[in-house]
Amino acid sequence: MSQNADHVLDHFELFRGPEYKEMLANKREKFEDPCAAAEIERVREWTKTPEYREKNFGREALTINPAKACQPLGAVFAAVGFEGTLPFVHGSQGCVAYYRSHFSRHFKEPTSCVSSSMTEDAAVFGGLNNMVDGLANAYTLYKPKMISVSTTCMAEVIGDDLNAFIKGAKEKGSVPAEFDVPFAHTPAFVGSHITGYDNVMKGIVEHFWDGKAGTAPRLERVPNEKINFIGGFDGYTVGNLREVKRLLGLMGVEHTILADNSDTWDTPTDGEFRMYDGGTTLEDAANAVHAKGTISMQEFCTEKTLAYIAGKGHQVAAFNHPIGVAATDKFLMEISRITGKSIPEAITKERGRLVDAIGDSSAHIHGKKFALYGDPDLTLGLAGFLMELGAEPVHILSTNGGKAWAERVKALLESSPFGRNCHAYPGKDLWHMRSLLFTEPVDFLIGNTHGKYLERDTGTPLIRIGFPIFDRHHHHRYPVWGYQGGMNVLVWILDKIFDEIDRNTNVAGKNDFSFDIIR
Amino acid sequence: MSLSNKIQDVFNEPGCGKNQGKQEKERKKGCTKQLQPGAAAGGCAFDGAKIALQPITDVAHLVHGPIACEGHSWDNRGTKSSGSRLYRTGFTTDINEHDVVFGGEKHLYRAIKEIIEKYNPPAVFVYQTCVPAMIGDDIESVCRAASQKFGKPVIPVNSPGFVGAKNLGNKLAGEAILDHVIGTEEPEYTTPYDINIIGEYNLSGELWQVKPLLDELGIRILACISGDARYREVASSHRARAAMMVCSKAMINIARKMEERYGIPFFEGSFYGVGDMSDSLRQIARLLVSRGAPEELVARTEAVVAREEARAWQRLEPYKARLEGKRVLLITGGVKSWSVVAALQEVGLEIVGTSVKKSTKEDKERIKEIMGDDAHMIDDMTPREMYKVLKEARADIMLSGGRTQFVALKAKMPWLDINQERHHAYAGYEGMVELVGEIDKSLSNPVWEQVRRPAPWERAAQDAAGMIRAA
Repeated sequence: MSQNADHVLDHFELFRGPEYKEMLANKREKFEDPCAAAEIERVREWTKTPEYREKNFGREALTINPAKACQPLGAVFAAVGFEGTLPFVHGSQGCVAYYRSHFSRHFKEPTSCVSSSMTEDAAVFGGLNNMVDGLANAYTLYKPKMISVSTTCMAEVIGDDLNAFIKGAKEKGSVPAEFDVPFAHTPAFVGSHITGYDNVMKGIVEHFWDGKAGTAPRLERVPNEKINFIGGFDGYTVGNLREVKRLLGLMGVEHTILADNSDTWDTPTDGEFRMYDGGTTLEDAANAVHAKGTISMQEFCTEKTLAYIAGKGHQVAAFNHPIGVAATDKFLMEISRITGKSIPEAITKERGRLVDAIGDSSAHIHGKKFALYGDPDLTLGLAGFLMELGAEPVHILSTNGGKAWAERVKALLESSPFGRNCHAYPGKDLWHMRSLLFTEPVDFLIGNTHGKYLERDTGTPLIRIGFPIFDRHHHHRYPVWGYQGGMNVLVWILDKIFDEIDRNTNVAGKNDFSFDIIR
Repeated sequence: MSLSNKIQDVFNEPGCGKNQGKQEKERKKGCTKQLQPGAAAGGCAFDGAKIALQPITDVAHLVHGPIACEGHSWDNRGTKSSGSRLYRTGFTTDINEHDVVFGGEKHLYRAIKEIIEKYNPPAVFVYQTCVPAMIGDDIESVCRAASQKFGKPVIPVNSPGFVGAKNLGNKLAGEAILDHVIGTEEPEYTTPYDINIIGEYNLSGELWQVKPLLDELGIRILACISGDARYREVASSHRARAAMMVCSKAMINIARKMEERYGIPFFEGSFYGVGDMSDSLRQIARLLVSRGAPEELVARTEAVVAREEARAWQRLEPYKARLEGKRVLLITGGVKSWSVVAALQEVGLEIVGTSVKKSTKEDKERIKEIMGDDAHMIDDMTPREMYKVLKEARADIMLSGGRTQFVALKAKMPWLDINQERHHAYAGYEGMVELVGEIDKSLSNPVWEQVRRPAPWERAAQDAAGMIRAA
């Protein structure tokens, strides 16, 4: 018997036992009509060649291992950042289960979200009934302060009109007439999760500022000294938003974070389940119209939102996920310029500490070659920091990055000699990246958890920065913004570099001349 | 010989010109500067002894003392081994209160026994430290007893920290192997081309950058003391025909006493820099020939030197334009205070200063010779002064050891490690190319631009202040 009640083997060990090895080998041999091992090896090697790369990049219809998610995921991300808000996805329930598990696996927290559970008859006759019943049930069962409605593909394909449906549901008494139900159309077949974030963010501010879909008077903007801050879709939102609040607090800048997810995805374990925790209050969201300016940390996450806000007379500024000294300088200077508040000594000191740290360790990073992939803004922020450290980005890939992103990357690369040999790959996937890593190898790869297969196949060590991170815990609690955030990114990069040095010098009696304790 | 007599003996170093220039009374005081309480100081005599002998790779280095001594010195230098890794294992008696009250000798004896049972090394080196020395543990007797009992060399290294500074420890370590190791075994065979290299520790594998050239010339390193050494090699090193002394101050007593006892002539040389490397090869050849090696060795050496120099210069050429006029501040000691200077000057770097705190009179003479005057010699530079020199941008880069690294970095100055923790090997022709490459990389690292730039809001404030002044 392979298992024994006194010593139960888990899957790491169990299937390595001789009986399983034999069983699997037999199954393969007798029933799977296997390809010859040599043939498999030949094809494996062929996929590493420039010839294969050319074919790979010639792909037109097929996406393999995309590094992006769908609009509705971003929609939920933005919605849960508001106080007591239940994201309500009009569409099929299976999609919603995906969003919830996706976020839970990354943040190690539950995510509240419901769907209108559309089925076949809804697809034929339209989803109005589902909206009416769904809003009523969600309102009664979960007692939210606001329900943010977005859509899945199914509702979009049949062309459900959210505005009309929500009005109809209110007329039928699903929710009180004055209850806030902002909405946004977020078809998964357009854009990516960052588009969904943008649409819902715009939907919510528009709801509050422009008369709640015709049910209230438009707000008249009376400019005050506050500023609004939008983080964008960001795997580090918990750490980042707290860090930004701390920095703004140090500067004495009155502010409103629009979609503050920092407490939503970091609730304490104290015996109480918080279906909703933290978040931007609805009052603050409404009053945000009066702010002097609005800052977006991720340009490509807020294209429509920011344009809308600028139209309200705000000074707006957008950054590309700023990481590192120069990028953080620029961010703080912009806040300082808009608010007229100076940057205090405490922050100057933090800056000095990051400068100190990069000086201490830069020799290890200088000249190292990197490939990176991820959301458009994150890749820009990381590439800027890498070049600041003297690293050389070689491949920058973004499945959800477009032409505008590629232009932006090009301009960034041209600003430094360390970007000279680097190319941007908009709209490409991780199978493209695989070819790039085989034909133009680099020292390190930066990306999300899905990069671990690239690490395994190509032997390029993976530094996990991005979203989602499923196989390492708690990194989302650390900021990557601000000087302290830059410090975290620096340490993650360095840790991997040193791990690699150790890994390459640790065979006793073979290559451990340099297996040293001091690096 | 008692420890205090031994120390006197070490201080009375006829091979040291500086020592010979002193009055009798001065000489008794010793050559190590009295430490100034309250002032920052370097390592102790134990540390000096440990670092001198630790590179002997196949022996067990057992530190008799509380955890502090081995805890901090365990495997802390990048000396490389081509064979045994035993020297990287930390052995200590880790003595406790009980030992301090009742004495630690039995504890030490048992520790030696366990090492021999578990590891069976060719020898055990036992290092004395302050606490057992103060409570009167007699490690020499314990070692003698253990040696007889187990039939294996157990070598006492009697250099407790309180007797003085690191350099004294280097010398006491030298005495330990002179007394107990060298001359205790015979080599399997000898050749007219056998040499010892003394004071080379194979940091980052530097010895290996030189060894292929010696191999090519048919010159055998009978023993390197102590880089990548085996116990047997050191024990039979007395049969060498000539010796090269690399680190001038650390082990001069070994070189001189081996000359006295076994008639092995030595010269002082360096593997750093193209010129010095060539000189060293020529000197080795000359000494071997004077001891009876065939005359043709000289011509073969010249051929290798010519080939290697041409190759090195060709590889250094591209750096010259990039490094021309860049100013270097060198904070190191001993042989490196001049050998690296010459090396750097060869590629057009300007040396704004070199520290001579740990340099001998000969070292200083050499510096004067190389640099034209002694204006650039810096005697004991405090971190604050160092900072000032760097801050005022009188240098573009500082080369130093790990402990002063952070002074340079705080002054926003590129820095390169040339002491024991360095990760790159700089010896020989190969090493020189590597060193210059590393300097070039350091200078061109974009981090310095970022590091030197003030925060933009400060820059704005400065500009504003400037405008007010201008008005």
